[in-house]
Amino acid sequence: MAGDDTGARPDEDSPLSAGESLALIERQQQEVHRRLGVNAALFYGPWGAAYLLGFGSVFLTYPSAVPLRLPGGVAAVITGVLFVTAIVVSVVRGARAGRGVRGPSRVVGAMYGWSWTLGFGAMYAVNIGVTRLGLPADAVTLLYSGSALVLVGVLYLTGGALWQDRFQYGLGVWMLVTGAGSVLAGVPGNFAVLSLAGGGGLLLTAGYFTLRPPRHRR
Amino acid sequence: MSATEPLPGLDPVIHAQARLRVMVALAALSTGDQITFPRLQQLLDMTAGNLSTHLRKLEDASYVQITKTYQRRTPVTYVALTESGRRAFADYTAALRALLTPPTDQPGG
Repeated sequence: MAGDDTGARPDEDSPLSAGESLALIERQQQEVHRRLGVNAALFYGPWGAAYLLGFGSVFLTYPSAVPLRLPGGVAAVITGVLFVTAIVVSVVRGARAGRGVRGPSRVVGAMYGWSWTLGFGAMYAVNIGVTRLGLPADAVTLLYSGSALVLVGVLYLTGGALWQDRFQYGLGVWMLVTGAGSVLAGVPGNFAVLSLAGGGGLLLTAGYFTLRPPRHRR
Repeated sequence: MSATEPLPGLDPVIHAQARLRVMVALAALSTGDQITFPRLQQLLDMTAGNLSTHLRKLEDASYVQITKTYQRRTPVTYVALTESGRRAFADYTAALRALLTPPTDQPGG
């Protein structure tokens, strides 16, 4: 046990006091969580920007109290680029999370990731089917904003429950309220609700996860 | 305090800078998860030889389980804490905290 022929650098074998040892544990834990964990702020940030600016720009294509009026094409490009960026960032980050790790946590993560894909796939199928029956344009708009937000809200509730994260669960509740509120607001008010309440909630969450120190297992 | 005189009550297998870092990294994984050797090496910024040496000591103490397997005909080595390893790490951190707590704080004194 006392063998010093480990080839370790001498500074690695210098004795530690109890305080130094605890400090090393703290440092190393933060380092591991930073490098191994999912940086939640990088998930929520692009989505918050897409909601705030994307839905905000769509709102501005309608005549409103706001003096600025955007052409539809501009809003479509802003919205398209921001949402595609958010999707790509989420998928890439999600796939990279826990690289080199196998076991129950990877299975949970993969199942959760697929829940988004499967849920949105089914939601679009339902909405397209219902729309085909012939709906007024505003009804189609509200069908999409309501169903998408309810799905997003429920998936955040699920994520909060899976990772025992009350803040994420709270975001889920907020997105459910936002979804219902957007439908009640009608067109084009729904876009203002999605932009400010939805985007605001997501950006607040991104800010929270940026400031919160890495979580420690106890 | 000299190097040959370990702190009382601290597990000498864990109480060494490099092995302590290995234990912290492995304890950060969820129970049941395993990490590949290269990924662990990258997380810890250690050379492969150095990490192997320390893992062998931890394996000798039954704190670490090393699983060699194949993925698409490529050999992959997975590393994880054993149950006793997880317990030993918890005991070690508890012992550190006890050492740093003034004895007058103990209840019933």
